[in-house]
Amino acid sequence: MPTRAIKSIFFTRFHHEKGSRVLHQIPEGSITPSRAPSALATPLFDFDSVTTYLIPTQQFCDRLLTFCTNHYRVIGYPVCIREGKYSRNEFIFNFAVVLEEAVADWVAYGEVVRKLGRLLRGLEEQGGFLSSEEERVWEDEGWSEGRGEGAGGGGRQGGLVASKVYALCEMVLEDLNNYAECMIPIDDSNTINLKLFPTHPPPPPIYPHHVPLLTISLDSLTSPVSSDLTLTRVLPFINGIHSVSHIAQLADTDLSLTRKAIQHLVYYGCLILLDIFSFGAVYAPTAEMGWFVTDQSVQEECARYVRVPHIQFGKGSMKMGSESERGGAERTSIITEASQRSDVSISSSSTTTTNTNTNPNIALNLTTPTTIFDALDHPSTGPKISSETLIMLYASLRQGLPLKSWVLENLPLLHGIDIRRFITFGIIKGILYRVHKYAIATSTFPASSNRSPAGGLPPSLPSSSSVHRDSDQSTIRGTHTPQHPHPSQSQSRHLSHKPSLASTANVFTAPTPHGRPDEVQGPRLESLIDERDIGAGLPLVKFLDGMHCFDEICTELGLGESVVEKKVKGAGEVQIVYR
Amino acid sequence: MSLPLPPASNLHAVLLITKSRSLGPRLVFHYPPLSPSAAALAANKAPAWFGNQTSTGSIDSHSSSSDWDSSTENEGAEDDVEVGSRTSGGRGSGRTSASHRDRDRYRPGGGGAWGRQENIEDDDADLDGNGTGNGFRKENGDGKDKGGDYDWNTVLGFKVDALEKMLCPSKAFNKRRFELGVESIVFVGAPMFVREDALWKKGRRKKKEKVLDPDLLANLNIEEGNGDSKSSVKGSGSTVMEPFDYPQGFEPGYGHGLMSGAASGAVSEAGSDTRSNSTTENAAPDMTMFNVVFVLNPPALEYQLRVQEMYDNVTRKYAKALKYEQARSQYVWKESKKIIDIKQRAKENNESVSATWRKIINTSALAKSIAIMFDAISNDKIAHVHFDATFSTSFQIPQQDSIPYLPSALEPQMPGLWLTTSNVVIDDNNDAPMTQHAALLLLEDAETLVKELEGDAKGNATALAYYIRAIIPTKSLLKISVKHNIQAQDMEYIARHLVYWRRARLIAPLHPRDTYIVSPNADMSALQAAIPSYSVRFPTLPSLPKILSMLSGTPRHFRTFIPTNEHREAYMEILAWLMRGGWVTQLRTFAWVRVTAEIKAMVAQEMEREVLIKKAEEARREASDTDSLTESLYSDKRSSFLSAGRPSTPLRRTGRREMEDENMEASTILSPRTGYGWRGSPARPASDAGSTSSNRTAIPLSSARPASPSQITPQQTKVHRPSPLHLKTTSPSRPPPTFSPTSPSVAPGPPSPPPSPQNFTPSLVLSPQKANSIEARWLEKIGQRFEEPELREHWPMLLRYLDGKHALEDVGTREGLKRKKVAALFAGVKEGGWLVIVRHW
Repeated sequence: MPTRAIKSIFFTRFHHEKGSRVLHQIPEGSITPSRAPSALATPLFDFDSVTTYLIPTQQFCDRLLTFCTNHYRVIGYPVCIREGKYSRNEFIFNFAVVLEEAVADWVAYGEVVRKLGRLLRGLEEQGGFLSSEEERVWEDEGWSEGRGEGAGGGGRQGGLVASKVYALCEMVLEDLNNYAECMIPIDDSNTINLKLFPTHPPPPPIYPHHVPLLTISLDSLTSPVSSDLTLTRVLPFINGIHSVSHIAQLADTDLSLTRKAIQHLVYYGCLILLDIFSFGAVYAPTAEMGWFVTDQSVQEECARYVRVPHIQFGKGSMKMGSESERGGAERTSIITEASQRSDVSISSSSTTTTNTNTNPNIALNLTTPTTIFDALDHPSTGPKISSETLIMLYASLRQGLPLKSWVLENLPLLHGIDIRRFITFGIIKGILYRVHKYAIATSTFPASSNRSPAGGLPPSLPSSSSVHRDSDQSTIRGTHTPQHPHPSQSQSRHLSHKPSLASTANVFTAPTPHGRPDEVQGPRLESLIDERDIGAGLPLVKFLDGMHCFDEICTELGLGESVVEKKVKGAGEVQIVYR
Repeated sequence: MSLPLPPASNLHAVLLITKSRSLGPRLVFHYPPLSPSAAALAANKAPAWFGNQTSTGSIDSHSSSSDWDSSTENEGAEDDVEVGSRTSGGRGSGRTSASHRDRDRYRPGGGGAWGRQENIEDDDADLDGNGTGNGFRKENGDGKDKGGDYDWNTVLGFKVDALEKMLCPSKAFNKRRFELGVESIVFVGAPMFVREDALWKKGRRKKKEKVLDPDLLANLNIEEGNGDSKSSVKGSGSTVMEPFDYPQGFEPGYGHGLMSGAASGAVSEAGSDTRSNSTTENAAPDMTMFNVVFVLNPPALEYQLRVQEMYDNVTRKYAKALKYEQARSQYVWKESKKIIDIKQRAKENNESVSATWRKIINTSALAKSIAIMFDAISNDKIAHVHFDATFSTSFQIPQQDSIPYLPSALEPQMPGLWLTTSNVVIDDNNDAPMTQHAALLLLEDAETLVKELEGDAKGNATALAYYIRAIIPTKSLLKISVKHNIQAQDMEYIARHLVYWRRARLIAPLHPRDTYIVSPNADMSALQAAIPSYSVRFPTLPSLPKILSMLSGTPRHFRTFIPTNEHREAYMEILAWLMRGGWVTQLRTFAWVRVTAEIKAMVAQEMEREVLIKKAEEARREASDTDSLTESLYSDKRSSFLSAGRPSTPLRRTGRREMEDENMEASTILSPRTGYGWRGSPARPASDAGSTSSNRTAIPLSSARPASPSQITPQQTKVHRPSPLHLKTTSPSRPPPTFSPTSPSVAPGPPSPPPSPQNFTPSLVLSPQKANSIEARWLEKIGQRFEEPELREHWPMLLRYLDGKHALEDVGTREGLKRKKVAALFAGVKEGGWLVIVRHW
């Protein structure tokens, strides 16, 4: 909220004989000229030219009415009360505020004006709050010559008793300008409570494969965040690693309710959305890279965020890196170790912070750059990661290069760096984008899909065609296809006996590169899957229009990426597109 | 925090109000005939504020909409009843609602596009929106002035007479923005008043500028060949290209003063002959004011932007065009009387609104122009308006044709928009305008364009067609103009116009040796529709998914995808097609110079030597001044010794004590973070080089900080990406790039005693053009290290592009060098490990 945005507040009444008059204005002279000593020299705008919009025809009463004049925006809520007790049977007033025209979020003020208008209407209807003090005001004006006199009259020289409405105007202006809220007791039973609520943009839709990450530590708040049960149950599992659907599983909540709860958090700006991290994923730099390179403070922030607090693991991997000409199996262990490292850094960071928290689970929330600083900012915990290294590392990520291959390429540089955090930081800051993988069924697809549910598909056919496609793809993709096959079996075994975090990161997308030689070699396995899942292959169809990335498909089906890929390829003529 | 937003006019109706002596305020015409009621519009907006209907936002959007209904004194209810009975009838003419729904779906900022489930809601809203059939309601009595003879009493859910009164502002609003908000809908108008002397425009003193109507060019009526029209054409070109140059204030918006935009041109051509008759007719003008009002319901957060856009580009320009016509031939009033007449008669005969409207539009050019305006602008298209036989022009709200950054999941999505930084203005003075080096990618087929052109051009079509046919996306404009013997300025002029009117895009010339990737911003939802149209176009070539799959692997030169030389042309056409649809984008290479520790050590060594020589010289000079002192004699000897060229060992001894001090200083400085402490440190190097460098570091460090958006931590932003890129495209005058904070702080003071590489860390030179003296020396040193003389020779030229802002792909065209040669040069630099390379769009 801009400070002191309200330039003026004024109260206009329509008098059956005297027409539209400004009865109260704060500051004096802001709307109509006034002789009060503290009055503004010239009004903000010409009152006479806009009376139509302040006291409009009945059609436009009881609505928020705004207009712009002389670079000011006037927000009013004209109220018309029809009752026999008034002269001409109606009582029309408008309580309006004046802002500068360019104030972006004037809607917040509009809501206040609307509320105030309705409240005053209620007060008037209940006990004549406005009309009771008015006789005096109009009389005042009769005595004094100028109209401006009348405006000030209610408040100061006119009545022996100060005008309540004038005081109200004054308090609303001051409090809203200074504190963005106000509480004004009117009488025993009525209080006016106003607050400026900033307008937030509508939250985006939340998909099950999104990974939420809190940007503030909600458990540090003294009062519970919300009485929403779903939200309370979901919160402990939001850690920047679990996907929405996994959170729903872990918290045992309904998926759609979970999504909605997370949407609320997004709306209030305490949560951001990431993608599912896996070592099979592809990341590439965006145009924001230039900004990262030139901005030293971000580099420092990054260095703090990605540093592994305990170096032992890093040393281990350094050794591995120096002996990088080892066998494939060895490398697999490096990979898993790397994921372990990500893992450990999380848990270690959580242990450093658990002291302050009663619930160790909640400590997992502290995975954002801003909240983790304290935990990691001990100078003794490790060597400084140079900005140059970070720049080189981010720059070396590219399209078509799965993370695991990248890790192998850059192992020496990754000493002391938590890879998951490194990637996450890039995503959060917009330095990186996730290159998502899509499957697009080509024109031949409907035919084969019609056939496959009928069961008439010989198992050899899809596999042979997929062999063909695979070779196609490998020629296209060229050299990047990793030459080191990681037996996904061993890896998943490796992961399975580890505690939750790393395995959850990999549950949805087992990091298997497509187009791998062993995939080509194993048509038997593939056909097996085809036969088994021929019925289950059906729901796949809807995912193959290019609008559903593999993260989404895997999450929806609850299957690993390699399984899904095999199924997709078995389902018909399919092209894999990375975007 | 204004993020670039997808185009959305939020336009829901256009009204024309006149005020005349005979009839008073009068709502002459509104379009669409069955406008949605304001209450419905307001209700419609709720999802746009809060995404999902189910969300329980704290602001009482729902209550507001419901209150609205209740407060309209059960008109709302009546509307609903009527909707049921006559939806089918209403649809035919009130086609707006359908089109709105379509658009909203593509509009991520609005409610519809976020969630798929909301389409249902949209439909509901649509029904509401159609609840406008007030036309058939017989409501006698209320209208005081009209004596109850009005058949059609409400527009937008308001009583017509009330609306008339509200939309007839006082004279104080003459030529100013008229903006009236009723709940969340807003009436934007540009009221035009007759002058005191009963004229509609000032008596002509002099032609202000000789300007041909730039907007005529929208219809592609480019007059080429007329030798004398050249200069004027160019002039207008520039005015057209800067429709947004207003410095975000409202001054130009209020002013109306300058003769830019639509009406300006015609003044010059037609002013002389028409002025006379208009003055005679104007003797006693009946109409004193007209106001064209555009009714919008923008989302709260986009309010200012949308209203401003509409006013600047459409409302004001249209009103001015009308005013011009009015001044010329009483156009507005004549047409208004015609319309009022028809309405009156239809009313008396109890005809239906939509039928009457059809009749009005067929009879009145003004009504037709309003209808065209509405249909085009509400669908974010270009409105071609023909006022009469001699005057036609076009209106649009300009749209972005590219974005430099990829919206995150939390930001408004703009799928399909071309993702590139090539349109980002690099604020360098020495940058030649890129237009000449860019190629023009036509967004429609040349033949389609030519046909369109022949449709409404008056004679120059063939010349233009020649130009348009000459345009190919693989050649830069410069090359095309040379080849076809077209004047470069003409070419550029045409290009700018085609771009402004959304017919073309400026791109880096497509080349097989460039790299293209599937754009992360590609609109995958359009894929299913694109596949067939692609296969019609390229029936014998690999299918669209196949091509996309090819382009989505490891980035490679496009050349490698082309199977044989014969395929080359076809594949380039495919590439152009893909670019046009935003499916692919060029992967561009950006680089910075990496200065190794070795270089730094070498430079430091040299500088140390120089310092000492200098000191010695000073000492000698002093000595010669004060000859008598023996000490000075020593130093004199020493200096002569030094200058003899054996610096290293004695050097270290002489100044040992102070050097140790400085050494300590330098070691604390090694970490880049202590950059602040460097300012004013006593270890200021004695050489000129050193001192300037420390000066220069001190200033930008302090000044760059607050300006840098990085301060926004993720918790404050809703991942509103704090990048300078956001600003670049919107504001052409970006502040100069902040001076590199990294490298100078790492810069060691020259006097650190053993300047061996271990004492230095490698760093980047962020902007060689603005390098401080130490950086310049490093760069120079690097240049000396190259072995090939060619590389050494071109090094200063290459350096100009090694600032991370210029794509290396552009160097060849800019410098007029062969692509291969440039590639070889950069490869040479890269081989030495002097570059940090980033590839993005």
